[in-house]
This record gives sequence, structure tokens and C-alpha cells, in this order.
Amino acid sequence: MSRMRLMLVGCAIAAAVVAARHPSVLAAAKPPTVDDFFDDSVVQRIDLQMNTRDWQSLTDNYLDNTYYPADFKWRDQTVRNIGIRSRGTGSRSGTKPGLRLDFNRYSPSQLFVNNLKAVILRNQTQDASNMHERISMLLYAKLGVQATREAFTTLYVDNQYMGVYSIVENPDKVMLDRMFHDSEGNIYKYDYNAGDLPWYFTDKGADSSAYVPEPFKPETNETDPHPDTIRDWVRSVANDSDAAFPINVLRWMDWTNFTTHIAVENWVADQDGFNGNYGVNNFYLYRWTNADKLTFIPWDKSEAFKDPVDTGIFHNFLDGDPAKRNRLSSRAMSIDDARNAYLDTLLRISNLARETDPTNPADTRGWMEREVEREYAQIKDLVYLDTKKPFSNDDFEAAVDVLRNFARSRPANVDAQVKAFRNR
Amino acid sequence: MIALFLALALAVGTPQDQAPAPKTKKGKAKAENAEQSEKKPKKEKKAKKPKDEKPAPDDVTDVASGGEADGQDVGGTGTFVWRNHPQLQFGAVRLAAEFKFQEDGHASYDNADVIAGVKPWELHRNRVGVKGKIGKKIDFEIERELTEKELTEKDILLGLTPRSQWKDVDVNFSYYKNAQITAGKFKVPYSLDEETGVSHNDFVYRSLGANYLAPGRDIGVMSHGSFFKHGLRYQVGAFQHDGDNAQSKKIQGGDATVAGRIVVRPLRKVSSLFDAFEVGTSTAISKLSDDSFRPNGLRIRTVLTQDTFFAPVYVKGRRSRYEGDFDWTIRRAAIRGEYFHVTDTRWGQSYTDGDLPDARYRAWYLTGTFTLTGENKQRPLRPQNDLFDGGIGAIEVAARIERIWADSVAGTDDAFANPRAENILPSGDRAITLGVNWTLNRFIKLQFNAIREHLEDVDRSPVAGMQNFWSRVARLQIVL
Repeated sequence: MSRMRLMLVGCAIAAAVVAARHPSVLAAAKPPTVDDFFDDSVVQRIDLQMNTRDWQSLTDNYLDNTYYPADFKWRDQTVRNIGIRSRGTGSRSGTKPGLRLDFNRYSPSQLFVNNLKAVILRNQTQDASNMHERISMLLYAKLGVQATREAFTTLYVDNQYMGVYSIVENPDKVMLDRMFHDSEGNIYKYDYNAGDLPWYFTDKGADSSAYVPEPFKPETNETDPHPDTIRDWVRSVANDSDAAFPINVLRWMDWTNFTTHIAVENWVADQDGFNGNYGVNNFYLYRWTNADKLTFIPWDKSEAFKDPVDTGIFHNFLDGDPAKRNRLSSRAMSIDDARNAYLDTLLRISNLARETDPTNPADTRGWMEREVEREYAQIKDLVYLDTKKPFSNDDFEAAVDVLRNFARSRPANVDAQVKAFRNR
Repeated sequence: MIALFLALALAVGTPQDQAPAPKTKKGKAKAENAEQSEKKPKKEKKAKKPKDEKPAPDDVTDVASGGEADGQDVGGTGTFVWRNHPQLQFGAVRLAAEFKFQEDGHASYDNADVIAGVKPWELHRNRVGVKGKIGKKIDFEIERELTEKELTEKDILLGLTPRSQWKDVDVNFSYYKNAQITAGKFKVPYSLDEETGVSHNDFVYRSLGANYLAPGRDIGVMSHGSFFKHGLRYQVGAFQHDGDNAQSKKIQGGDATVAGRIVVRPLRKVSSLFDAFEVGTSTAISKLSDDSFRPNGLRIRTVLTQDTFFAPVYVKGRRSRYEGDFDWTIRRAAIRGEYFHVTDTRWGQSYTDGDLPDARYRAWYLTGTFTLTGENKQRPLRPQNDLFDGGIGAIEVAARIERIWADSVAGTDDAFANPRAENILPSGDRAITLGVNWTLNRFIKLQFNAIREHLEDVDRSPVAGMQNFWSRVARLQIVL
């Protein structure tokens, strides 16, 4: 064997030994993935570079959806030529704007980490704790419901710190493919205009344009939005006889998806969900490819944990002003299967919330309380440095305390209500 | 329904319409043709048409440019007549009302109704106006579009700019024939196609270059006149902004503008074939601000569906427009061509606030028309024999080939489509328009156009993967 060959073999053996002892050496060579971007065990950092006037214009005109060009940087990944704009409804802010980052705005084929077309940066201007959304979505995920992936990040624009944001997966075909392995159907965002009257899932008439594109706004396949499906579903729910309803509604829905969706919202006392205090809100609906099957996808839980710990488990559908009860939820409760699924899910959430850490028997805190503390530890210092937030640091601490108390108290309260209902 | 009613009524004809219009002599046609651009110099008295001749009602020479049929006294004070337009006379003041209706039927690529909001039927124009003359030296006109939508309070809150419903609102002083003065709101003198009145055009839509690169109307003052028996015509003016074509609800447009246009007939003494051969050139220089938070460059859209395939970029500094054109009418045929070249400077527009290379927009077109029914080519075309009056009206065929495209002058970076790209990714549209124009009588015209477009950057097509598509449009035009 020549001397050269001996040297090559020696180098190969040395490299193998180093790689075996230090896997990170190999890992460092791998490009980061979308899972790394949504890794919520760390706080990410996003940098945007843009013309100085553009950020000023975006904040001055935060009600406008004008896109501005920017270069995006995360870790060692730079994506040039992206578009950003202000976003949100009640959360819009000129001080700390919520943002939509479109990686393919100016280059349709451009993706970030070979996967993402766009992401949302939620500004948490309606949630002093910054955690309502994260904890709610984690709860959905623990129940096996497909929910948006999220992680905290800091945002810097032209090297200026803009505060703590939540990265939220954008509801698009990429997300649908991850969730359902079916992305060619129709996804609708429930979206209403400011000033519209609250809607409680009542009949909007026979004209399908009363349903699509508003309030059910098609976000994929806009040219083939199947408005009749939405119209027929709503009208069936609103008008079918008690005998026909349980049979007909199964054409569009499965009770597991629906009851889990509203059970989580109710458990976390969401003020602004499907059974919220202001009418139907905050969900996406997916119509599967070539089928009438509809699946709920949760969205925007910034108003969760805001109603009291003892919020009724039938809030706004069997309880409350009859004129403001959600028609679908209330009718679902008349069906044994749906009602039992709903109540069982509430109990399951309570169990998840108080589940202790099996690796640390000395810690008596439940999962939800531990999650609050984990996230608090992640972001506390960063929130304190965040001068753009519309809350004081004391507000932040108080909001976290509310969450801690909620995590401790809500399971027992919900359990008691379920037991009382079943024993009535 | 109103349009149909009017169409029927007018197709039968008003009492004054019963006598067929005399055939226009060749030389006369040429002289009229030379006068068709709006804001042209007045004709000399000897060029007046005989009283029984019937110029088309939307002939721009009617009143405001002095001395054509509608411009003549119609009788004593309070007299009302309907020559080409309803007219009134009060002492030295003569008024002629004018109405323009254009109703379009559209079709384009699949789902254009959803993607581009193309409606099968559209009341494209619904304009009313008054042209008038005070004494011998002062002409004026006022024209208002009735169909354009006012902005809501929310639109204004969002920074949208209202588009004026007032079109031509101006007064012309002709104390010096070679240096007439026009003041008010009117078209910035730039581009042959843009200056051709919309109801005179050979096609339903103007060329892309005229629509998106020419300034259009603005408020200003202009001097204009002609020399060498119309062998040379000039227009030069100063304007508040750079025209409404450069503006939209979201685009602020340019600021102070100076513009000039010269048209010559260089070969008229060589041969009668070249009597109506004209060569023109225009330039317009405008200030450009970046006061708006939105990009202030020019946008370019497709012909019928108006899908934006070149979005405005951020600009600041100066907008420079240059143009050259020719126009040649030979009896029943006519050809036209035009080239547009526009640049916008981009001072301080990079991510790091540095200067960027100029944004650049270019366009050209070539058109040809031929009358099948024997009339000599004029704009507007006048039938020898009106429909329902022993004839079939005037029919002509027309074709146009054109291209418009935008990019930036050489940059060193990779080309991107974003509005602050150093090197702007080029995007363009090549279009062919085939048309038939049927002028039933002097009031009514039907136009049929088939338009094939080829978008050069498929990524900016309104439909994913679609680069070529056809559009069809039919227009009913009624001008009173």
C-alpha cells in the first residue's frame, strides 16, 4: 500500500472517530429544516433588512396590506427578495405590527428551508402573557388534532430589536399537506368585515354568495371555491328537523373533529372562538379534495384564558342568551354521540392539563402549569427588553399569574361541571 | 336597455340625417385627418366645410377648435338646433352638448371573471360634455365621466387616491393662430395613439404603450400652433403632474411635468401619396417623489383583463419619456407605428438607502387598417351610405401588433421582481389584435376585437403556467 493510500485511510478513520464522538460536527453540515424553524425548545431569532422608509411606512400605515420588500435571515439562512406586510384584525398595531412574511411574493418558486411559502409573525398585542396561543395549540396537538406549529422568536429589523413574536405556520397548501397529506381541496378562512353583525351559525339564505367568499374566504383554489357545499352544510344545520339533522350533517362533518375543536376552546375559556362571545370566529375549514368532508382547523387563540376559570362548559351554546347560542354547537349537543364525545374530551383535556412529569415525581405540577413555567423562562428577559409591547412588565407578570392559576384550577372545575351535567 | 333604445332610434336616424353625407374629396379627407387630434390648431376660415357636410359628432374639430359645423352660429339668441350635437346659442356664446356611451361585451381566459373581475357586460364609458365658443377666439369644453366610482372613507383612510371624474375641462385662446394657448385639464402632448380621441380609435383599446407609458390628462397650460400650412405642428406645455395614466388609486404618480410634441409632414411635396404621411416625436420630463409609502413607478397590465404583470417599483428623482411615431393614410388604408421609451431614476431606493439603476419601460406597436366598403380612411370613419339609408355603413378591418416590457438599466446583482431590486427582473407582454369596425352611421359604431397576448414572464401570469391567452371584446359606441 502506498504511503498516499495509508494517509487517506488514516484520515478516514480519524474523521469517523471524530464524528462518532461529536455528532454535532456532522449535524452542523446539514442544512436546517422546517422542524428546526418551529423548534419551540428555543427562542428563534429573525432578522429583516429593508429600506429605512419601508419599515416606517409599514408602521405608519399598519391598516394597509401593502407589501414591502426585504431580505430575511434566520441562522445562517438568508432569503432575499421576500415580501412582508402588516396583518391581523384586532391585533393590528403601528407600534409592534403583526407581520406576514411571504417568501414567494416576488419569486413564485422561492421557498424557505425548501418548504415554506409564508409564515406569520404574531405580535401578541392582545395577550400580555404571549402564551395563550402557544399553549392552546399545544393542547390541540396533544389531543391529536392538527394545529398550526408555533415557536417564539425575537425580531430585528435593520438590527433594531422589535420584541418577542410568535412564529405561526401559515395556513396554505404546505400546511395542509403536512396535516392531511391532502392539499388540493379548499381551505376557507372564517373572516368577517368590521361592522358585520355577529353570526351564530344561522341560515343566511339560499344564495351561496352569502357564505363564500364572505365570511368563508377561500384561500386556495379561489377559482373553484365550492360555495354550495358551505351553503348546504349551514342550511342543513340551521333548518333540518331533529330527526334528519343527525343523519344529514354527517355528510359534511365528523363529530370527533368538531367536538374536540370546541372542547379545547371551551376548556381554555376562549372568548373569541367558534362559540365565542362575539359570534363565530377564528377557525379555518378544510374541504377535502373531491369530497364534501369538512375539517375544522383552530386559529388565533390570543383571547383564550380570558374568561373566568369557572366558565360554563356549554357557554354560548346551551347557556346564555338564547338568541346568541351557536346553532351548530347547540344542535350537536342534542345528539348522544356528539355530546358524549364533547364531554369526554373535556375530561381528557383536564387529565392532560394535570398530568405530572413521570421523569420527576417530586414535581406535582400538571403539564399545563409546567408549560406555562417553561415558556415564561424562555421569554421573560426578552419580554422585559421589548419596548414595543403594549403592556408593562407588571402586566406581563400578572397575565402569567392568571395562566398559572387557570392551569391549576380549571381541570377540577371542568370535571365538576361534567359530572354535574351527567348526574342531573 | 337605454343604450339599445338609443341605438335603435339613432339607427333609424334623425330628420337631419336623412340626406346622405356627401363623399369627402381626397384632399378634404387629408385636411380633416390632420385635424383629428384633440387640441389641434384651428383651421383657417377657407378650410371650413360647406354647411351641408356632416362631420361625425365626436369630431374633435367641432367647436372647441373653431369654425366647423357646430361652431357656426345656429341662429338668434335662445335658438336650439341638432346638427351634430344638440346646440344652443345665446348671443355670442354657442354651446354644443355631447354624449358618449360605450357598452362592452367581454370574454377572456377561463375564470377571468373570478381572477380579474371581468364582467360579461360593462358600461365602459358614459360621458357627458359641453363644447362651446365665445365669439371667434375663445373655445372651451367640459367633459365628465359618469360611471367612475367615488372612493369611500375607508379607501381614503387607506391612502387611496381618488381618480377624477372630470376629463377635458379647458379653454383655448386663439388670438394668435400659431401660438394658441390652452389652459385647464387636457391631455399632456405625448404620443400619437394617446392623443387620438377614444371614440376615433381603430381598436377598442389603445395600445399598451399609450395606456401605460403615456401621461394622459393633467392640469396645465400649453401653447400650440402650426406652420407651413400644417406642415409642422407643435405643442409645448407645463403641467401640475404627469397625467392620470401614471396614477391609480394606489400610485401617486409624477409631479411637475414639461412636455412637448412636434409633428411634421416631411414628404407632402414629394408625391400626393405622402400627403397624409406624418412623423412625430414627443418628450415629457417629470419630477418623481417618494412621498407615498407605496411604490410610485409605472405599472403595466394586460389588455382586457388588466392583470398586472409588472408592478410598480420604488422610484425617486426624474421620469423621462421619449416617443417617436409615424402615421400614413393612403386612401382606404392606413398604417401607424410608435415607439415609447421611459426611464425613472431611483435615488435612495435600495435596502441600504443607496441609489439604484434606473427603472426602464419600453413599448412599440404597428397598426394597419383597410376599409372594405370603399370609404377613404378617416378617424372617425364616415360611411358613404348609412345603414338603413340605402347602405350598410362603413366596414373596415384592422390589425395591431405590439409589445410592452419593463426592466432596469444594467445592474450587477441577480435579477429580482421585488420593487427595490437593483436589477429588475424583466416582464413584458406581446399582443396581437385583430378587429372589425362597423360604423353604422355617424352616431353608432360597432367594434369587434380578438386579442392574443403572450406574457413573457410566466411567473407573473394571472393563471399559473398560462403564458398565452385570447380575449374577445365587442363594443357598441353611441356618440351624440
